[in-house]
Amino acid sequence: MALHLSEAEIIERAALLPAFPAVVNDILQTLDDDNATIGTLCSLVERDPVITGRVFSLANSAAMGGRTPRELRDMQVAISLVGLSRVREIVLAVSLAEFSRESRMSNYFWEHSVAVGVAAQELARIAHYSVDYALVGGLLHDIGQLWMARCYPLEFQMVRMAMQAQTKACILDTERQHFGTDHCVVGRVLATAWHLPASVVAAISHHHDLYPPADKLVATTHVAEAIANALDLSRHEEARVGQLSEAACQQLSLDWHADLNFLFGKIEARTRYLCQTFAAS
Amino acid sequence: MKTRLRYIALSEAEEEMVLGAPLTIAEHGVTNFSLPAGHVLTEQNIRQIALRHGEFVCIAVADTRSDAECAEALAQAQARLDVIFSLVDRHRPAIAGLYKAVLAYRSI
Repeated sequence: MALHLSEAEIIERAALLPAFPAVVNDILQTLDDDNATIGTLCSLVERDPVITGRVFSLANSAAMGGRTPRELRDMQVAISLVGLSRVREIVLAVSLAEFSRESRMSNYFWEHSVAVGVAAQELARIAHYSVDYALVGGLLHDIGQLWMARCYPLEFQMVRMAMQAQTKACILDTERQHFGTDHCVVGRVLATAWHLPASVVAAISHHHDLYPPADKLVATTHVAEAIANALDLSRHEEARVGQLSEAACQQLSLDWHADLNFLFGKIEARTRYLCQTFAAS
Repeated sequence: MKTRLRYIALSEAEEEMVLGAPLTIAEHGVTNFSLPAGHVLTEQNIRQIALRHGEFVCIAVADTRSDAECAEALAQAQARLDVIFSLVDRHRPAIAGLYKAVLAYRSI
């Protein structure tokens, strides 16, 4: 029998997940703040020792090409060397990787999230949209499934088994049969409760829609998932392309008849790089 | 000699690899580093790319496969794509475009 989950219950049960990293919201807020400086970013990074350690480690590696170890100890120097945008990417990816690790997210789930995040970043560059928002949208698009796996593991497993047994089954319909709702709705409730920006909430809520609302982050996340699955980036037997909205593709000015080999190659190589760099477990 | 293109993470790049496509790194819209296709990578190049936050390179590798082996590899890639696209209507323009573009990518 299907569960009938209320929004209140979804939020209440979210206590089973680790605390959502506040630094994600803080970083996104700095993007809209003209007065944000390197000092602002430093103070955000230095609040969390795990993130601080990872930023130093990655800054050392980036600065020296991974060839000659050198100890960087000053965060402002690290940020100057690596660049503001790259440090923001590191902070977002590391904090969400930590969140995923503490949530006991499967490797497949994390790799798929990274793949969609990277594809979203590359589409955002084409569409002249924020790569930071795109990364967050991609990394969090399936957060509702993480909640399902953590809060109702039995029902979640039944969904997985049903999907394996019925090759043509729709994931959202199958989830509704067992949960009374789907991961897009659960994700929207969680993202709203975590006070994520409206466009991130919309991207999580509408990433499976064939007719999504006209919003660049929604379009970016939606098309990024289709590309990540089409390229088989997480090498998972169950990977399938779902809906692909014509309007979303048009919004991103994507021309499927153009030579996309470089775009796909970049997405594939960067996904591998980020999965190695930001392994969740 | 026949070659094929491979896109690899910078951490996988090694000296003496040959660039399969021009490498251009820009910051704030200004190109600050570039190497031409056919350039043979050196240790110093790899460090320079890392310093400029490059994350990947396109390299040309020798393709020693016979025509039959190439055709077999492409057929396998297409069979996998058919499974991945099995839930959707491939007559829809966006889906058809994505399928064709990924198949073209698998052919390089």
